[in-house]
Amino acid sequence: MLRFEFQIGTAGISSKFFDIEEEVGSIEIDNALPVAGNTVFLFLTAQFEAEVSKESLSRQLSGMEIVDMARAETKRCTYYLGVITELSNVSVLSMLTSNRAIPHRIVGHYGHLDVVASVQDWNHLKDVAETVEAEHGSLELIGTTQTENIGFPLGGNKIKQSMSGKLSDEQLEVLETAYQMGYFKVPQEVTAEEIASELDISRSTLSERLRRVEHNFCELLFGPRK
Amino acid sequence: MTTIILVKTVEQEPSIRETLGSVVEDGETVHFIRLPSVRCLGPLLQAVNPMISYGVDYTIRSLPTDYDVSELIDFAIESGADRICIGIDDRTVSGKARIDDLTQSILLHDAISGDVVVGDCTIILENLSYDT
Repeated sequence: MLRFEFQIGTAGISSKFFDIEEEVGSIEIDNALPVAGNTVFLFLTAQFEAEVSKESLSRQLSGMEIVDMARAETKRCTYYLGVITELSNVSVLSMLTSNRAIPHRIVGHYGHLDVVASVQDWNHLKDVAETVEAEHGSLELIGTTQTENIGFPLGGNKIKQSMSGKLSDEQLEVLETAYQMGYFKVPQEVTAEEIASELDISRSTLSERLRRVEHNFCELLFGPRK
Repeated sequence: MTTIILVKTVEQEPSIRETLGSVVEDGETVHFIRLPSVRCLGPLLQAVNPMISYGVDYTIRSLPTDYDVSELIDFAIESGADRICIGIDDRTVSGKARIDDLTQSILLHDAISGDVVVGDCTIILENLSYDT
């Protein structure tokens, strides 16, 4: 299989978000479930530049009903929304699935949509690109990689979704650096001092952040501590 | 078998070595095609030494300044190329081989199809067939 990333102009729900008064950083479709008729239940992660209210968004976003809205625990201006809207507002998603491509990520930024999808082979890629170009006018391929399996389709990465917003940027940075440097390998490929040095933080700060990450993981797995 | 190696930069030595070492076999013909932005292939090919180190016959061609992807496809058809190898200059944040305008034009061209293999340094389009 080939996984590829492409960009197209903003459309549908993404362009509606970028038209509102509040400044939007990005809008990502986390999951989509069919509703009766031609409507779809969308679960979104929206990053704003400032705090927003459900009332303000509902007033400005025509053609969609905000069913639920919650703020991320660690990121003040990141919100999780559940909305019901017309399928045509997520045309790229329906184009991918109707062409039997597997969508992995659909993220709207100002002026463009970033999309990651998997296809069977080169001919399949051409078919999908042709459909997308016919609908959106143009498409820019950004990158590709080969893959043996489907990986996580849209809405399939439960751990990532569950952890999203539960770790601060600093905690994520510490976790990723420690992972990439081999801290969690057996035997360890790097010491805590080396990671702290790489991140330019003290050993005690590193330790504290890693413990908080572990605590959040445990809380997710076992629930709040009694 | 005939292979086209697109040379987009003189810093493409790892990609050329990967292609000659793991894709192309002894005795095959290789056409190095340089983009107009690449002024000269001499030092690069001296460093790689395709004939002595890899046992391949090769030619060097260049695309004109105002080239169109069709010229490349026409040459691939004319030479009966079985493969087109394109160096990977850069990767995306998530590690995917970055696709430039020329690579996109080849991938989405109507007249060419086959298999795509993404190597460490090279995108290999192989088992090529042409719709002429």
